[in-house]
Amino acid sequence: MTLSDRIEKLFMSVQKPVRYMGGEFNAVMKDPGDVAVRYAFLFPDTYEVGMSHLGMKILYHAINARDDAWCERVFSPWVDMADLMRQNGIPLFTLESRTPVRDFDLLGVTLQYEMSFTNILEALDLAGIPLRREDRTDGPFVICGGPCAFNPEPLAPFVDLIALGDGEVETGQTIDMYRKWKASGLPREDYLRMCAQIPGIYVPSLYDVSYNEDGTVRAVTPKPGSGAPEVVMKAMVPKLDEAVYPDKLIVPYGEIVHNRIMLEIFRGCTRGCRFCQAGMIYRPVRERNMAHLMEMAEKLVDATGYDEISLMSLSSGDYSCLPELARAMVEKFAARRVRIALPSQRIDNVLTDTLRQTQKVKKTALTLAPEAGTQRLRDVINKGVTEADLMRSVTDAFDQGWSAVKLYFMLGLPTETDEDVLGIADLAAKVRRCYFSIPKERRAPGLRITVSASVFVPKNFTPFQWAPQLDYDTVVRRQQLLRQALNQIKGVDFKYHAPDVSYIEAVFARGDRRLADALERAWRLGCRFDGWSDQFRYDLWLQAFRECGIDPDFYANRPRSEDEVFPWDHLDCGVTKTYLLSEWHKAQRAECTRDCRKGCTGCGMKRYEGACV
Amino acid sequence: MRALIRFGKRDRLRFISHLDLQRFFQRAVNRTGLPVAWSQGFNPHPVMSFGSALALGWTSEYEVIDIKLSAPMGRKRTEDAVRAALPEDLPVLEVRMIDDKHPAPMALVRMSDYRITLEGDDAQRVYDQVSAFLERERVMGIKKTKSGEREIDIRPLAVDLRKTDAGLYARLMLTEQNTLKPDLLVKALADMAGVGVPEMRIHRLMLLGADAEGNGRPLMEL
Repeated sequence: MTLSDRIEKLFMSVQKPVRYMGGEFNAVMKDPGDVAVRYAFLFPDTYEVGMSHLGMKILYHAINARDDAWCERVFSPWVDMADLMRQNGIPLFTLESRTPVRDFDLLGVTLQYEMSFTNILEALDLAGIPLRREDRTDGPFVICGGPCAFNPEPLAPFVDLIALGDGEVETGQTIDMYRKWKASGLPREDYLRMCAQIPGIYVPSLYDVSYNEDGTVRAVTPKPGSGAPEVVMKAMVPKLDEAVYPDKLIVPYGEIVHNRIMLEIFRGCTRGCRFCQAGMIYRPVRERNMAHLMEMAEKLVDATGYDEISLMSLSSGDYSCLPELARAMVEKFAARRVRIALPSQRIDNVLTDTLRQTQKVKKTALTLAPEAGTQRLRDVINKGVTEADLMRSVTDAFDQGWSAVKLYFMLGLPTETDEDVLGIADLAAKVRRCYFSIPKERRAPGLRITVSASVFVPKNFTPFQWAPQLDYDTVVRRQQLLRQALNQIKGVDFKYHAPDVSYIEAVFARGDRRLADALERAWRLGCRFDGWSDQFRYDLWLQAFRECGIDPDFYANRPRSEDEVFPWDHLDCGVTKTYLLSEWHKAQRAECTRDCRKGCTGCGMKRYEGACV
Repeated sequence: MRALIRFGKRDRLRFISHLDLQRFFQRAVNRTGLPVAWSQGFNPHPVMSFGSALALGWTSEYEVIDIKLSAPMGRKRTEDAVRAALPEDLPVLEVRMIDDKHPAPMALVRMSDYRITLEGDDAQRVYDQVSAFLERERVMGIKKTKSGEREIDIRPLAVDLRKTDAGLYARLMLTEQNTLKPDLLVKALADMAGVGVPEMRIHRLMLLGADAEGNGRPLMEL
């Protein structure tokens, strides 16, 4: 029986076999005999989550655009499938050709979220690949990219290469280098040494880490003679219009999280919100030209049959000709019944003009993220938004027929007090009053206000990388405080979660290499799919830390001194540590920094060729 | 005008559920570039209907979809457009243009032909029960329904049953009131043989309606 038949034997016993089926429209099939490099791309979460991710679509297309390489997809099998695969001796396989992952040349892994780290170990194990690099004598090289690649230290012993920054170009360079290495006949380690010369590629095994007595990092330095750079600068694609972008997208059979066309209108964000890692590491802002976007959209509608296009970016309202783009899109696609959706709207420039255009096709809940309940705290985090902005946006929306509003906040931001937390309830009450200020005959019935409060996780490469995460008990107390305050307001739904997951996330977000043992231990104890509340096992995580002699509070709750060497100081995300520190100082003074579109704020990005021109 | 399309479902795509297939076709028809008619109302969608749901894991060479068009189209052009919008494992096998008064395919279906291939050591003992099955006046089987389990006489629901080189050929009733699924038939045969239910591959060969005398006629020819 072939591997494919053995895989299909399991399909009738698992939830959603469509996750493992492959064969979707626009999936790329090649003849293995025709390609020099087989690349497996792992998204360490379910099919539904991974297939909704834009970065994977871009890289899948970029690799498959080459004649010499074939990129195939792999997702984490859900726990039912993973268990059956183990029982039946079926190795982790790719969706396209159902080839074992261990038979590939390169294994790319995207790191979107710290809580998917155990899934990477689970995937390696299911693939039959030794977890630790030093135990691997053959099989694919493991290359990790994505936002969490900017603090890859907890994964250091498990991976071969870390790809920092934009993947469009550097991914191709790792493939070119693979062919060069393969032709050279040199030992396995030489591929790593060769790749250390590629801009944006960090090779953890070529660096030594030393520690101070207090447990902090003393230095991370390249091994003598390794040729690895002292500081690894991220890869950056200066002009997105010249970068590859898919002209076809795989159309899944089952429902996935975001089942629509994703059109990246720009990359990077100039706002400078101090909690936001994406806003720092994806700099500078690079817009795609409107005519180019229109052309891309048309190709994708033709190739997929989707009836919805999402305009993607970190802050789509900031696109320099958003009203024109939105109007042109709506006009162009109305006859084909394609809706245009604008995600992550920001409250300070949701243009009512644009709103009217989008509403013509669809009306969803208005989603706003004030993040903090008082102006003081919004100034601390540099969320340049006032209460008046918020009230204007919701009033406009209510006036135009919206009746559902979702408000997103964070609890535990640096300098937060009980007063800031109660300010959230205050805002919700004011939003409610805005709704009732609209005459009854004009407003849509059925007001729904949803307040979501997540627990703040300080991330590296942000001005808050020096801040401790708010301690567990205070978080719980403030959640209850807010819950009681919101209970007094009619029609408000409050969503929040136990701080357990955020705490583990905080440990890894600013972790070092010593966490690798705890990560492996947690996985061996049974942790996987930690981002899924029905799978997350806080008790096992705490046990893993205990057994490895690691104090998680050291990583999550410790205030960092300003001269501390961080485990990621040898990586360069574009924004300098000096700039981040000055932002941290300004935060403590509740002082705002302007949007750098209105004038350079000196973040350090200009050190990169082709940036900020 | 409507396009009546017969297509196959084979190989790995046999694991798409009926619901997912319906959603898939919503996007596929958008890709065809055909002048598809849209429903009115709050949530407009392309007007189309399916023959009969196929269970997960079964293959078929007789799935039927009926797509309403808002403007006349040639048969060949329609066939080419639909073929280009479907993956290889959902092959377009036959297209017929029908007028708006033609009944919906679902309303015409009376029976279905299947090829059933059994696997494992007990396969032959189950095949051997065919003649005994046909000689019996009643064969009781447990039918699972939404409201629970019910014992029914499945014998009259098997219109035809034969052992062939490939396994079993069965023509089974497929109406709202009277339906016999091939796996239930195999279960009954296995019970008669006194063995466990073997693993099986089920392939739909044809959907049929009925002529005035009640005899089966291929759905596409009605």
